[in-house]
Parts: sequence; C-alpha cells; structure tokens
Amino acid sequence: MIRISVNGEMKEVSANLNVNELIEELGYTTKGFAIAVNTTFVAINTYANTIIKENDKIDILAPVQGG
Amino acid sequence: MKNETWEIGGKVLSSRLLIGSALYPSPANMEEAIKVSGSQIVTVALRRQSAGDKAGGDFWNIIKSLGIEVLPNTAGCHSAKEAITTAKMAREVFGTNWIKLEVIGDQYNLQPDPYETLEAAEVLIKDGFEVFPYTTDDLVVAKRLVDVGCKILMPWGSPIGSGQGIMNPTNLKAIREKFPKIKLIVDAGIGKPSDAVEAMELGYDGVLLNSAIALAHDPVKMADAFRYAIEAGRLGYEAGAMQKREFASASTPTVGTPFWHQFG
Repeated sequence: MIRISVNGEMKEVSANLNVNELIEELGYTTKGFAIAVNTTFVAINTYANTIIKENDKIDILAPVQGG
Repeated sequence: MKNETWEIGGKVLSSRLLIGSALYPSPANMEEAIKVSGSQIVTVALRRQSAGDKAGGDFWNIIKSLGIEVLPNTAGCHSAKEAITTAKMAREVFGTNWIKLEVIGDQYNLQPDPYETLEAAEVLIKDGFEVFPYTTDDLVVAKRLVDVGCKILMPWGSPIGSGQGIMNPTNLKAIREKFPKIKLIVDAGIGKPSDAVEAMELGYDGVLLNSAIALAHDPVKMADAFRYAIEAGRLGYEAGAMQKREFASASTPTVGTPFWHQFG
C-alpha cells in the first residue's frame, strides 16, 4: 500500500495503480470529472499510462455552479 | 425592435447577457431564471468531488438541458499554473475551449492579478483556448492582454459580488475607445438593471453577472428585468444619445405660443 492525498485527504491505496485503477479503487462510479496529479492535468486518454506514486496529490474535480 | 445578432468566440448569439449559475435559492430557480433571462452563455465551475457524490452530475445535466453555451471559469485560482490546470480540466469535462480566466490577486476585494492572468492567457491561447479574461478597468493591462492574443476582455464594473455597479465609467469608456474590435464584457459588480444599461450604453458588447439576479428577492423576475435592461442599453447605444446641454431648451415649438410672457 502507498499513502496519497485525494482531494486534500490522506488515503492508503494499492501500489502501482494507474489512474483508471485508482478511480475504481476509490469507488468513483459516475463519469464527468477531470483529474490532476500533483496539480498537473492528466488527460483521460493518458489514465492507463499514468502510475500513482507514494505522496502523490490527486485532485478529482466535477461540475458545480459558478459565476 | 429586437437587438441584432453578434459574434463572440466563434458563436453567433442574440442575447448579450452572460449569466452565472451560482447562489440561486434552488436548482429549479436557477434553471427558470436562466431561461427567463434569455441568456445564451452560462458560467460554470469545477470543484473537488468525493466518490459517490452525484451532485455535480445532477447540476451538469440541468445545464446541458438548457442547450446554451457553457463558459467554465477558473474561480479560486491564485496563480497562472493553477488556472492553466483548471482550464485544461474544464475543457475535458465541459467539452469547450472557452474559459473565463480568473486569477485572484487579493482576497479582500477579489481583484484579479494582472501578472498571473497575463501569463496564463498567453499559455492558454497558444494551447487553443478562447480566453475570456476577467480583468480590472486598467487600460495598460487590457493592452497587454490584447498583445498576447485575447480577442475578448472582461473588465470589472466593481468587485465581484459587491453590487456597486460601475465604479469608473471613464476607464471603461477608454478601453472601449482603444479597442473597437475587441469583444468587451463588463464582468462583476453589477447590482441593478440600470448598471447593466449603463454598461451597454458605454458600447460594451455584453454584461456578465450572477449575484444581481441570484440574490434578488425574486431571481426569476430580476432575470427578466436584466433581459430588458441589456436590450434597452444596447438599442440606446446603437441609436446614439443626444449631446448634453448646459441649459434648458424647449421641446415644444415657441412660435405661436399664446399668452406670451417675456422672462427678464
């Protein structure tokens, strides 16, 4: 297991997960969000090639009201 | 008489009102207010979502059902890097290259940071974004943004959510005169329909507002009021206002006035 931050919260997840596997392990079922790793955008077509490492900071953002 | 169509960001629209989707009493009220406003551009945002939270999806479904253009913002960003990352995330989620670039430089008055905004605008334009930069009414900052390729500028009327209206019409007028071909939107600070009329009478191409409608006692009725205000302001600008005069000048003909009195 490795420790990472997800939306500012520390979590333990399996080692060597790619972003697709991470999303599944975290329990995200609905689509319509975008992901940044260490404040850099990760495009959906690169999820499979992006491996999550110890201490990575993950942001998962979805649509909300805005002005 | 209806306003003629206009073009912004490659889209031909009839409404010149850009409306926000935040702060309404309920999602149903938001939906109704946006419809009544006649607006064809709605602003949205991105925020952290936890697993199992479907609120984002529900909100997005309402917005999609309106069938109007979506303008995602980078609200809450304090650096060019944060804004660039948020813009890229928004492009993927919302499926648009439009971005309301908002990089805040001061927490007290939510004034945009011109240096970070400029840096982000340049990167995003090179990456294919249509950048709608939120800026102050500073002419030189506006010039720098145009220099890096912005075709749209969104100077503030007054600080976000303040409802103070247009603090400095002289500065806004100078930006209009300096950039006749740039699409200019007054963004932020609008409080009353008359503020929107003033912005349109200055020759601005549109007005972006949120709180003025969402925080009204009756947001749906206020949305209607702003629809009329923006149409009236635009027609007034196109019609060309009369010159102000120092003294009174009778409008009714004086020739043939009965019971003539000569004032001394």
